[in-house]
Amino acid sequence: MVNQETVQDALRVVIDPDLRRDIVSLGFVQNLKVHANRVAFTLKLTTPACPVKDELRKQAEDAVRAIPGVEAVEVDLTAEVRPNPGAIGRAMLPGVKNIIPVASGKGGVGKSTVSANLAVALRQAGADVGLLDADVYGPSIPMIMGATERPMPSGGKIQPVVSHGVPVISSGFFVQPGQAVVWRGPMLAKMVEQLLAGVNWGELDYLVIDLPPGTGDVQLTLCQRIPLTGAVIVTTPQPVAVNIAEKAVAMFNQLKTPVLGVIENMSYWESTKTGEREFIFGAGGADHISQKWDFPVLGKVPLATTVRETSDGGRPIVLDEPESPAAVAFTECAQNLAAQVSIHNLKSEADDLVKITF
Amino acid sequence: MSAPESPRPIEIGRANEHDVKIRWKDGAEAVYPARLLRLECPCANCVDELTGRKLIQEGVIAEDVHPAGIDPVGRYAIQIYWSDGHHTGIYTWERLYDLMQKL
Ligand SMILES: [Zn+2]
Repeated sequence: MVNQETVQDALRVVIDPDLRRDIVSLGFVQNLKVHANRVAFTLKLTTPACPVKDELRKQAEDAVRAIPGVEAVEVDLTAEVRPNPGAIGRAMLPGVKNIIPVASGKGGVGKSTVSANLAVALRQAGADVGLLDADVYGPSIPMIMGATERPMPSGGKIQPVVSHGVPVISSGFFVQPGQAVVWRGPMLAKMVEQLLAGVNWGELDYLVIDLPPGTGDVQLTLCQRIPLTGAVIVTTPQPVAVNIAEKAVAMFNQLKTPVLGVIENMSYWESTKTGEREFIFGAGGADHISQKWDFPVLGKVPLATTVRETSDGGRPIVLDEPESPAAVAFTECAQNLAAQVSIHNLKSEADDLVKITF
Repeated sequence: MSAPESPRPIEIGRANEHDVKIRWKDGAEAVYPARLLRLECPCANCVDELTGRKLIQEGVIAEDVHPAGIDPVGRYAIQIYWSDGHHTGIYTWERLYDLMQKL
């Protein structure tokens, strides 16, 4: 006899490889209906960018099909991103579930290009994503995203410019080029607060923040003012870039902001003809950081002339050339990032539960 | 996870019949006398929101006032239901942590 219980029991063998728990105890199985040996249910994942969603669906379907007596199985796939537990009840940006700063040690490693492609790739997967350009010294997100309109005020706040489905705000909209260089801590802190609280960000699964390079006041303010889910580190393979990137990691550690992973940009050059890879800048930079500091490599993005060209043209490469090696790598980075967000949130949900016995 | 230095309790329980004991994630532990907690109620009836001046009158608060129940609020605070019927105060982790200095 097929019933709810036999189906639930069968589904308990399906393990989410990232969260390392079965899909029943994770609460993924919803709307379970059993009727005349026909089974239907919804798999509700923790992110639409789940890197293993098709495998999970297939495993779940197979597990139920294997129950004696089952004649048909129908699985619906949906996702609801879990908020960072630190964000619940937060007065600033109450609708934003996860805030993810993207940092690098030194400039010129393509951090802004990575931020933009991560945001657009998460959007393509179906998530609600915002992109905040906090690189006050060299704001380049408007150009990369083709967000050239001026943002308009609305209801006492600023309305972001929506580009490729992503609400975008840049410090460059408000500060003259070169002006911020002479700013001191308190002014930068005020600017960061304005970009967060003074903007109608609305309901977002992920807010990606492009930080200035290095370990300055913007980073400090951000980590101290608002609970962040975790940072992404961008580096190139060169030892000098890696060394400076480690300083950024050390800063986040000190500020008790988790690091979700590292992305190696301009990792190698891939010949379009032969598919051969050339490691122009050396190899192993991200692997070194990942092992030393104990967080994953989210991906390695090859050097491609088209990344630069499409970046300058206002359309990130994941939109224009989704099949290119660089775009595939960016999409993979975004999926792995989304998985890490889910892992961290689940872990801190467990950590942060307060036992009230009064 | 949370912002730096934002304190988090692990357990909120009883020190005795009336007093509240809080165990913090950083290892700190403290007993909050029930009446002191009641007098520190941060709600708008007890504290002037603009000036921070206390409006609560110590004399009218019973000596044996105590929590009848404690509920979590989000993941950042608790709400205490008092034996005198008062229950509008939201005690944030920050506030409870800082209160340790007054004990
Ligand atoms: Zn009160």
